[in-house]
Amino acid sequence: MQILKPATAGTLESSDLMVTLEPGTDGIELSLTSSVMNQYGRQIKKTVLETLERLEVKDAKVTVVDKGALDCTIKARVECAVLRSCDKADKNIDWGGVIR
Amino acid sequence: MSVSQVYTSDKRTMEKVKALLERVDITLDEHLDYTCAVFDEAGVPIATGSAFGATLRCFAVDPAHQGEGLLNEVITHLMENRMERGYFHLFVYTKPGSAKFFKDLGFSVIAEVPGLLTFLENRKNGFSGYLKKLEKKKLPGQAAAIVMNANPFTLGHRWLVELAAQENEVVHLFLLSEDAGPIPASVRHRLVREGVADLPNVVCHETEAYLISSATFPGYFLKSEEKILRTQARLDTALFVQIAAALDVTVRYVGSEPRSVVTGIYNEVLTEALPAHGIQCRVVPRRELPDGRIISASAVRQAIHDDALDSVADMLPETTLAFFRSAEAAPIIAALRTEQDVVHY
Repeated sequence: MQILKPATAGTLESSDLMVTLEPGTDGIELSLTSSVMNQYGRQIKKTVLETLERLEVKDAKVTVVDKGALDCTIKARVECAVLRSCDKADKNIDWGGVIR
Repeated sequence: MSVSQVYTSDKRTMEKVKALLERVDITLDEHLDYTCAVFDEAGVPIATGSAFGATLRCFAVDPAHQGEGLLNEVITHLMENRMERGYFHLFVYTKPGSAKFFKDLGFSVIAEVPGLLTFLENRKNGFSGYLKKLEKKKLPGQAAAIVMNANPFTLGHRWLVELAAQENEVVHLFLLSEDAGPIPASVRHRLVREGVADLPNVVCHETEAYLISSATFPGYFLKSEEKILRTQARLDTALFVQIAAALDVTVRYVGSEPRSVVTGIYNEVLTEALPAHGIQCRVVPRRELPDGRIISASAVRQAIHDDALDSVADMLPETTLAFFRSAEAAPIIAALRTEQDVVHY
């Protein structure tokens, strides 16, 4: 999926994360802030990048501010931000394929 | 608990929000376009935050409710609200002691006015990326800097640039990126570029959000109290010092300001603060015409407003004059005519 416009998903409350996506030209540029950076930074980064890859997002500026979210939350927020940024969130979402 | 908007028309709630801010020594800004708060069971605000354009400010959490994550809720609410309005690059003003809370929320510090204010943005490499971009345009030799709005470019601006170009090997000319007023930024920039095209050692840059923008210096665009203007000018100076370091700039040229209060204060702050950072500040007197009139962009806007472009023809370089006489300028002139007040306060 191609990122068409800036979009955001999630909150800054505890156990959640805020994902902001903006159109990019130079692959995935990820900027990650986390309250559990030292313990789980790598795992969060891996989950975000895997989710983007699954959704076939090639170029995007991705800002993640994490407040200790679980992997399932991270996946859900990233998916939501991607769908919003390519104007698919307001239509029937095509569950099943790459969107789980 | 949920965050809800506080309307300026709701005077009673607004007073309570003001009282909450006063408890942590903050005065509610006059220029805000959105205020929100979290309320307790009795309907008393226990956390608040406001926004104006791309900036977030006036935060307070009731000391009895600190540590409950209320600031995070307020910030989330404000960020969503700003993004709905199309502002994605956000800035925060806060007291230096509170900066750490915002760093945890993904903001990074751009500059600080010691003891008064810390300025942050929601990007990790926003300002540093801007500085890197500037460094690529660095040229060898003694370098000067000028920052101008050029609204529009006059012979006064031209004279200041010419003087700097004679006295220095390189002149870095910063043009305000903000679209404020009837003359769009693209036109202002074009007129400057055309007007200095014959000076080979002048390099033009855009200030983006980082110099005299509505984020760093809202008082430049909206009438504000002197104390607030001074703080904002000091913040702007702190940013300029970092920009100057990236380009090895050792002298800043500014035009003297007999009429505009805000530019006058800004010049004063620059003259005071820059020498401490090894940058000289040269205040160049305004240029007068033989008949004693002072060249000023405000006067030019006023003349266009009054349909008397010819009366200021001797204040403008050929390029600017030709533009305002062309058909292309018609919509801009029409917009200037409808403005109530075209003179910079």
